[in-house]
Amino acid sequence: MTEIRFHGRGGQGTVIAAIILAKAFFRVGHQVQTFPVFGVERRGAPVEAYLRLDNKKILARTNVYTPDHVVVQDRTLLQSIDVTKGLKPGGWILINAPESFTGMDAFAGFSVASVDANRIALNHKLGSRTHPIVNTTMIGAFASLLGMPPLDAIAQAIEEEIPISTELNIRAAEEAFREIRRPELTERSNG
Amino acid sequence: MDKKTEATQKVSLFIPRSYLTTEGNKTGSWRFLRPRYEEKTAPCSVSCPAAEDIGMIQMLTTQGSFKDAWETILRENPFPGVCGRVCFHPCEGVCNRAEFDEAVAIHVIERFLANTAHRNAFTPEVERLAPKKQNIAVIGAGPGGLSAAYFLALLGYKVDVFEGAGEPGGVLRWGIPSYRLPLAILKEEIRRIEEIGVRIQTGKPLVHRDLDTLGKEYNALFLACGHGRSMALGIPGEELEGVQDGLSFLRGIREGRMSKFSGRVAVIGGGNAAIDVARSIIRLGGKALIIYRRRRQDMPAFGEEIEMALDEGVELRELRAPVSIRKAGGNLALEVRSMKIVGTDTDGRAHIEPEEGKPEEIKISHLVAAIGERAEEPWYEPPDEGTGVLHLSHCVMAHKPGGTLVYGGDLTNGIKSVAHAVASGKEAALALDSFFTEGIESVQPRLAACRAGAGPALSMEIYTQGPRSDRSTHVVTYDEINADYFQFDPRVKQPRLLREERSRTFGEVSLKISANLAIRETERCFNCGLCNQCDNCYLFCPDLAVKKDSEALGRHIDYDYCKGCGICAVECPRNALILEEEDYEEGH
Amino acid sequence: MKKVIEGSQAVAEAVRLARVNIISAYPITPQTHIVERLSDFCSDGSLDARFLKVESEHSALAALIGAASSGVRTFTATSSQGLALMHELLHWTSGARLPIVMAEVNRALGPGWNIWTDQTDSLAQRDTGWIQLYCEDGQETLDTTIQAFLLAEMVNLPVMVVLDAFFLSHTYEPVDIPEQEAVDRFLPPFTPRFQLDTNNPCAFGSLVTPDSYMEMRHSIAEGMEAALDLLPEIEDRFAGIFDRRWAAIEPVECDDAEIILVTSGTVTSTCRELISDLRKRGEKVGLLKIKLFRPFPVEAIRRILAPAKKVAVIDRNFSFGASGIFAQEIRAALCNCPGHPPVFGFIAGLGGRDVTKDVLEGIYRQTDQSDRPEREDIWIGLKEVHDAAERS
Repeated sequence: MTEIRFHGRGGQGTVIAAIILAKAFFRVGHQVQTFPVFGVERRGAPVEAYLRLDNKKILARTNVYTPDHVVVQDRTLLQSIDVTKGLKPGGWILINAPESFTGMDAFAGFSVASVDANRIALNHKLGSRTHPIVNTTMIGAFASLLGMPPLDAIAQAIEEEIPISTELNIRAAEEAFREIRRPELTERSNG
Repeated sequence: MDKKTEATQKVSLFIPRSYLTTEGNKTGSWRFLRPRYEEKTAPCSVSCPAAEDIGMIQMLTTQGSFKDAWETILRENPFPGVCGRVCFHPCEGVCNRAEFDEAVAIHVIERFLANTAHRNAFTPEVERLAPKKQNIAVIGAGPGGLSAAYFLALLGYKVDVFEGAGEPGGVLRWGIPSYRLPLAILKEEIRRIEEIGVRIQTGKPLVHRDLDTLGKEYNALFLACGHGRSMALGIPGEELEGVQDGLSFLRGIREGRMSKFSGRVAVIGGGNAAIDVARSIIRLGGKALIIYRRRRQDMPAFGEEIEMALDEGVELRELRAPVSIRKAGGNLALEVRSMKIVGTDTDGRAHIEPEEGKPEEIKISHLVAAIGERAEEPWYEPPDEGTGVLHLSHCVMAHKPGGTLVYGGDLTNGIKSVAHAVASGKEAALALDSFFTEGIESVQPRLAACRAGAGPALSMEIYTQGPRSDRSTHVVTYDEINADYFQFDPRVKQPRLLREERSRTFGEVSLKISANLAIRETERCFNCGLCNQCDNCYLFCPDLAVKKDSEALGRHIDYDYCKGCGICAVECPRNALILEEEDYEEGH
Repeated sequence: MKKVIEGSQAVAEAVRLARVNIISAYPITPQTHIVERLSDFCSDGSLDARFLKVESEHSALAALIGAASSGVRTFTATSSQGLALMHELLHWTSGARLPIVMAEVNRALGPGWNIWTDQTDSLAQRDTGWIQLYCEDGQETLDTTIQAFLLAEMVNLPVMVVLDAFFLSHTYEPVDIPEQEAVDRFLPPFTPRFQLDTNNPCAFGSLVTPDSYMEMRHSIAEGMEAALDLLPEIEDRFAGIFDRRWAAIEPVECDDAEIILVTSGTVTSTCRELISDLRKRGEKVGLLKIKLFRPFPVEAIRRILAPAKKVAVIDRNFSFGASGIFAQEIRAALCNCPGHPPVFGFIAGLGGRDVTKDVLEGIYRQTDQSDRPEREDIWIGLKEVHDAAERS
């Protein structure tokens, strides 16, 4: 079983991101389970969502404590939240950050990748400069990172879940799929 | 059979279900108390000298039936525009709503209705009786004379009014300043009286012997010459230049003879005339100083008028009595003596005596004495006693073989107000009608039968049509109102000209209120004793015994099913229902 | 067709497929997604039903009592304080024998305010005459909701379909949404055995004297017993069409089990993993899932539990002054069985606290290592706290 934890803020579509990814995995034959950390949803508040993947029916109905991977939709969360909590060694941390971002060094021992999801989302007119909607972009990058699910499954899941600006969301996911930066991966494959 | 249905039919299903109707259960047989619709009398209508059906007027206003409401006033009072402005509204003093929060602003609504009628040029539809053969002369075209003429005309008589002045109106025309009563309002209300056939002849001052001549031409005379002369102060210097009386002062303004004034004027008196004088002086550009023997709270003038006068800059010197006036240079010097309170009079006002010591001297340019009025001629006064002299509540009727003479207006009224003048005119009209139709013996019983709630006020409507919707004469008290059905809501505030504007102009001080505000205010009215078809009785009756119909109240009680529980009477917000003990002797 | 949907949507899809006529509800977290979805269905035409907006849960059920009396299929959903507010009308519904179906999302009662899962809200209504069915996952929730209408209409009693807040109501997983045609075959249109009829007027719910009240209550009791018998028939019929089967109770690895854990709701699901792990290690442990709480399937439970050495009941609820409510019922079911096993009552996961596999294993170990329970209620994972009064 693979467990993935999403970090974001209320209003950024973090829960939707987990649902789209679940639906995309389900399309290509995985058993899935996804749910938000239940709380009082408020715009701007830190939120978490979980995704479980398996090849058999998922029975666990508990929170995720030791994720295999972590997706961080908003890098300002790094100041207040330990995104590595419970993260299994070798697990991926995917952070939404521009190329100039230097905070990666803090995550020694983990595999860190980043994507400038804000820029990509805004290029596709998703959200505003202060509130870019990066969830579909992050999914595209994450799929690239794991090598699954395939982009067409993601596109179909987006079509199912997002009725507005569907095409722009799909293209943003595709762009992120190509533009993800994963220096650590290169290093690890070498080693 | 479907498998589901088969299985289902096996399951026990014993439920409470009844096919009986309750029609057979005539719960009326349980009754030992019997509710009955009985409208009652509201305290406001009893206290109104003109016996206006105030509860009904408020209800009609709430319903937006402004013309009906206005006509309901006109049935009892030809002067809604005047009274909405100058009446001292005793109705508000007895309003049951005052025990809940604040009295309904009845006079504001009366004024609103008159304004609405004026703006929309309503033509009143007020019942008039068929013409009668008698003709009547009215002497004096003040509020009393005009009211008598109005009601006599409605009763079918031919009426001629004789007025000494150049225009009709009496005190309304010459005595009340236009900032309280604009001329246009008065003219319109007088025009409406003329429109129903009353002829007014102005510029016809009469002398005593003219009564004999008129007595031969007319079947009856009504004499309402009013109090046209101010009372004298009776102190030295009263004859000096710069000293005048209140009535001539006010008349001078209304005749247009006076448009500017300067200097400091002492106004002697504490009645409405004194306040009118003082406020007029302010408007003409002078300074006014009211000198009054007693205290502010003892002044007969309306409280609101005193308050506005002080607000406009009038000075008030309480507990001061004038002693003498003398010339001092180009001005006058008024000597006043301090008064002290030595007890309370029976009417609650301070009882006073002069203080020891030297009088105070006040420098003034003018002095106006407004300490009261009296009749101009002795023959205006009614006879005290004698054969054929009938003392009625607002009139004196002198019935002699040579002719019938009714004295009314200020000369026969204890309280000298416009509303009482209307009451006097109305009483004269009803008395004369009773006399002409049923003889002198019928006058007092017939008048007694048309009193609102057995009070002193006479109702034209009751006189001509019998009791208002079978209303009982019981006057509703606050305890009898179910106040649970009313919410606290402040009384409407009468909008007024700003103080700065008031002191420069004789324009009307009170401003119009909107229809919305008027309706909101009349919604506050309890409509004491009147059914406004709120349907509480219908909704609350546990036996569905209140049945709707096409009767006046739109409902009746089905006594086959009314078990006499009394919920209808308890839940009636306005006491339009009565609960009586069932009379077993006769009831079955 | 299988789709990834959340538990709330599973309920809504079932209500749509059941062709409900009248829905009335008042929103409350965590039930909101159910009624939002149904409101969408009503407005987009995918469900030809009237959605009555009301001002409270009390009114929501009152409205349905009127609707159901006229012989139509009805549904409501609520949670926690909302259910508590309905209490009076819960009695009304069963007394009037109205087959209303409700989705009840288990949420803790306040104060202290807590929107997370806890079974006390629904279990506190155990004496109101409602059939109660506790679900474990999205598929069971959908299927049970469809079955609930059939069951309710067969016995003329209301049915509460109960699901855990968030762990089920807000959790997305693959769920097979059946075709309308298949559901129509399973669930025929409602044929009421009585209804308001203006052509044949009568009064329902009128005064019942001592002379017949007992018989009326007994009739309800018989209806409840009938539900116990009819549920397997309904499951057979369902399995015949959809090839899925659920049960009033489900024993897992109980045949030779020395210790049997008793669970309900989503805890069952996690517990299945534990049983599977422990069995691999050779431990003789089983699991009994209780789905049907009212009527309580006493006989079936006895058959499974009586042979065990120990029984451990996990209650995500508590009856103050007594113990966990499932534990009480299990004890009562077993007490007339000679030589019945001791019943350990564990309180865990109140107010949404996570009941992880580790927590469940701890409960198993504690049961294994004790001969008898020291108390009737054993609270799991209690932290040391200081009274607010002391602190201030």
